Amino acid sequence: MVVTEGLAKHFKDQKGNIVKAVDGISFEAHPGKIFGLLGCNGAGKTTALRILSTVIRPTAGTATVAGIDVLANPEKVRSQIGFMSTSTALYGRLQAREVIEYFGGLYGLSGRKLKERVDYVVKKLQIEEFADRLCDKLSTGQKQRVNIGRTILHDPPVLFFDEPTAGLDVVLSQTVMEFIEEARDMGKTIVFSTHIMSEVERLCDHVAIIDKGKLHGEGTVEELKAQTGEASLEKAFLKLVEFESNYQRETVAP
Amino acid sequence: MNPIAWVYRKEVREMLRDKRTRGAALFGPIFLMVFFICGFGTIIGGIAKKENQKIHFVKSDNPILASLKKEKMTFIELNTVAEGEKLVKDGKATVVLNFGPVPSKTGGQQTIEAYFDPKSQKAQIVLGGLEKVFGQANKTALIATLKKNRLPESIAEQIKLERKEVKIGEAGAGEFIVGMLPYLIVIWAFYGGFALATDLVAGEKEKITLETLLITPVSRTQIVMGKFLALSTLCLVSALASIFGLILVAVLKLPGSDFMLQGGLGISPTAGLITIIVLLPTVAMFASLLLAFSTYAKNSREAQSYISLASFVVVIPAAFSQLIGLTDAASQGWVNYVPVLNTANNIRNALLGKPDWTGTAITVIVSGAIATVLIGIVVRLFNREEVLTRV
Repeated sequence: MVVTEGLAKHFKDQKGNIVKAVDGISFEAHPGKIFGLLGCNGAGKTTALRILSTVIRPTAGTATVAGIDVLANPEKVRSQIGFMSTSTALYGRLQAREVIEYFGGLYGLSGRKLKERVDYVVKKLQIEEFADRLCDKLSTGQKQRVNIGRTILHDPPVLFFDEPTAGLDVVLSQTVMEFIEEARDMGKTIVFSTHIMSEVERLCDHVAIIDKGKLHGEGTVEELKAQTGEASLEKAFLKLVEFESNYQRETVAP
Repeated sequence: MNPIAWVYRKEVREMLRDKRTRGAALFGPIFLMVFFICGFGTIIGGIAKKENQKIHFVKSDNPILASLKKEKMTFIELNTVAEGEKLVKDGKATVVLNFGPVPSKTGGQQTIEAYFDPKSQKAQIVLGGLEKVFGQANKTALIATLKKNRLPESIAEQIKLERKEVKIGEAGAGEFIVGMLPYLIVIWAFYGGFALATDLVAGEKEKITLETLLITPVSRTQIVMGKFLALSTLCLVSALASIFGLILVAVLKLPGSDFMLQGGLGISPTAGLITIIVLLPTVAMFASLLLAFSTYAKNSREAQSYISLASFVVVIPAAFSQLIGLTDAASQGWVNYVPVLNTANNIRNALLGKPDWTGTAITVIVSGAIATVLIGIVVRLFNREEVLTRV
C-alpha cells in the first residue's frame, strides 16, 4: 500500500524563484489495484514518484510505502519497491543477464536464490536468446524486457511505473501493459503515471488528475466522467485541469 | 556478496570492456614507456656514437687532421670556409673544421676553427666529442715534450681530481630511471583513472542509469565505496603498468634500452616495496579527488573540464620531483608533507638505494589523511539530492 498526505516538493530555479513541483498531494494506492497519476508533461508525476522511491526527499508532508515511512527508513522502502521508466537506461557494457544479476545482488539476493530468480525472470520475459548480449547491442524492445526483469527480480510488493510506454511502439506498449496487469493480478500495489488516456482507461482502477503539482480530481474513470459531466476521459481531464482552448477563448471574448 | 563488492565488480567489469579505459589506463603507460625509451634511446644514443658523427673540414694537409681521421667519425672534405658556413646554415653540416697554419716554431699553438649552429644540440654533442679528442692529444703531446726534456709527466696534470664514489645503501637504479620513473608513476596514477572517473557518476547521470542505482536498498555510502575502490584499483594498475613497460623494455633489450638503461634496471626489492607503500594512499587520494569532480559534475563533459583543471595540482609537484635532485630538498623533511611530491620523492630516494622510512611513514599519513577527507566529501556530495539530480 502507498499512502501520501500533503506531500510537497519545492525547488529553487536558477533565478532563485520557488518552483512547486508537487504541492500538497494526498492519495492512497492499494494492493491488487492500479493507481494512475494522470497529468501533462511537467505536472509533477515524476517528482511524486521520485519522492515515493526515496530518490529525493519531500519538502513537506508524509508518505509511506508498504507501511514504511519514506523519510524515516528510505533504504527499507527501496527494498520493497520496483521502479520502471522508459527514460532509465541499462549499462551498455554489461550483458542482459549481468544487468539483472547485478540488481539482484544490490537487492540482497545471493547464491542459489539469486540464480533461481534470474533464471525465472530470463525465462518469463523471454530474454534467453539475448541474455548473453551486451545491452548496447539490444533493440528497444529487448532493452525494455531487461528493464522489466531488473524491476521485478526481487519480487517487490510495490511497483512504480513512470510513463513506461513513452516512446514505445504499439506492440511493445502492449507487452508492458500486459505485464502491469499481470503484476496487479499477483496482488502488487501499482502506481502508474502517464499522460495517455487510453492506457488509464484500460489499466487504472483509480485515477488522480495532477496538474501544476496539485491534485484536481480523483476517482474511477467513470466517477471522473460523472463528476465533470463529460462523455470521455480526455474531456473530463481537460475540464478538471481547467484547460481553455484558444478557439473557446476567441469565441467567448466578444 | 557485500553490496560494495557488487558495485566494485560491476565497475571493474565495465572498465575492462571499455576500449577507451583499457587504452588510456593500461596500454597507454606501457606504450609510452616503450616509445620513450626506444625512441629517445635510439636517437640520442645514435647521435652520441662516433660512427654516426659527420665532421666536415676545409681541405688541409695539417698533420692533426691526419691523426683525427683515425677516429671512427665520418669525414667530408670541403674547399672553402664559405662553403662550410653555407652547409651549416642549410642544416646539412653539423660542425665544419678549418685548420689554421701549422705553427712555425716548436711550442706554438695550432688553431682549429669550428663552425657550427649554436642552437643545434647535435653540434654541442659533436663538439664535446672533439674537445675530448683534442684534449687527449694535447696531453699526449705535452707528456712527450716533458719526457724529451726529462721532466716528470705529472707536470702535464699538476692538479688532478680523483672521483671516489661513496656507496650509500643499496645499489641504486640508473640515471634515467631515477629521473623519470617517479614522475611517470605519479602521473599515471592520476591520468589512468581519468577516463573511468568521468563515467562513474557524471556518466551515469548523463545516461540515466544512476537513478536505477539510487532506488536499490544499497546505501549511498556503499555505492560510493564500491566506485571508489574500482577507481583506486585502476589508478594503481595504471601506475604499475609504467613500471611493467620499463621492465618489458629491459628484459626484451629493445633498441635504445642499452643507452637509456645503462647499468640495468637496478630496482631493488626495497625500492619496489616502498613504491607500493606510498602508492596505495596516493591512488586513494587521486581516486577520491576524481570521484568528487565526477559526482559534482552534471555530465561527463563537465567532469572532464573540472578534472583537466585539477590535473595541474598533480602535474606541478610531480614535475618538480624531476628537478629535486638538483637541490638539497630531496633529503629535507618538509618535502614529505607536500602531497604528490612526497610520493615521487620517496620513490626516487628508494630507487637511488637511499630509502627514508620516516619520510615514507609521513607520506603515507599525509596522503591517507587527504584521501579520507576527500572520500568524506564525496559521500556528502552523494547524499545531496541537488547534486545527484543535477542534469
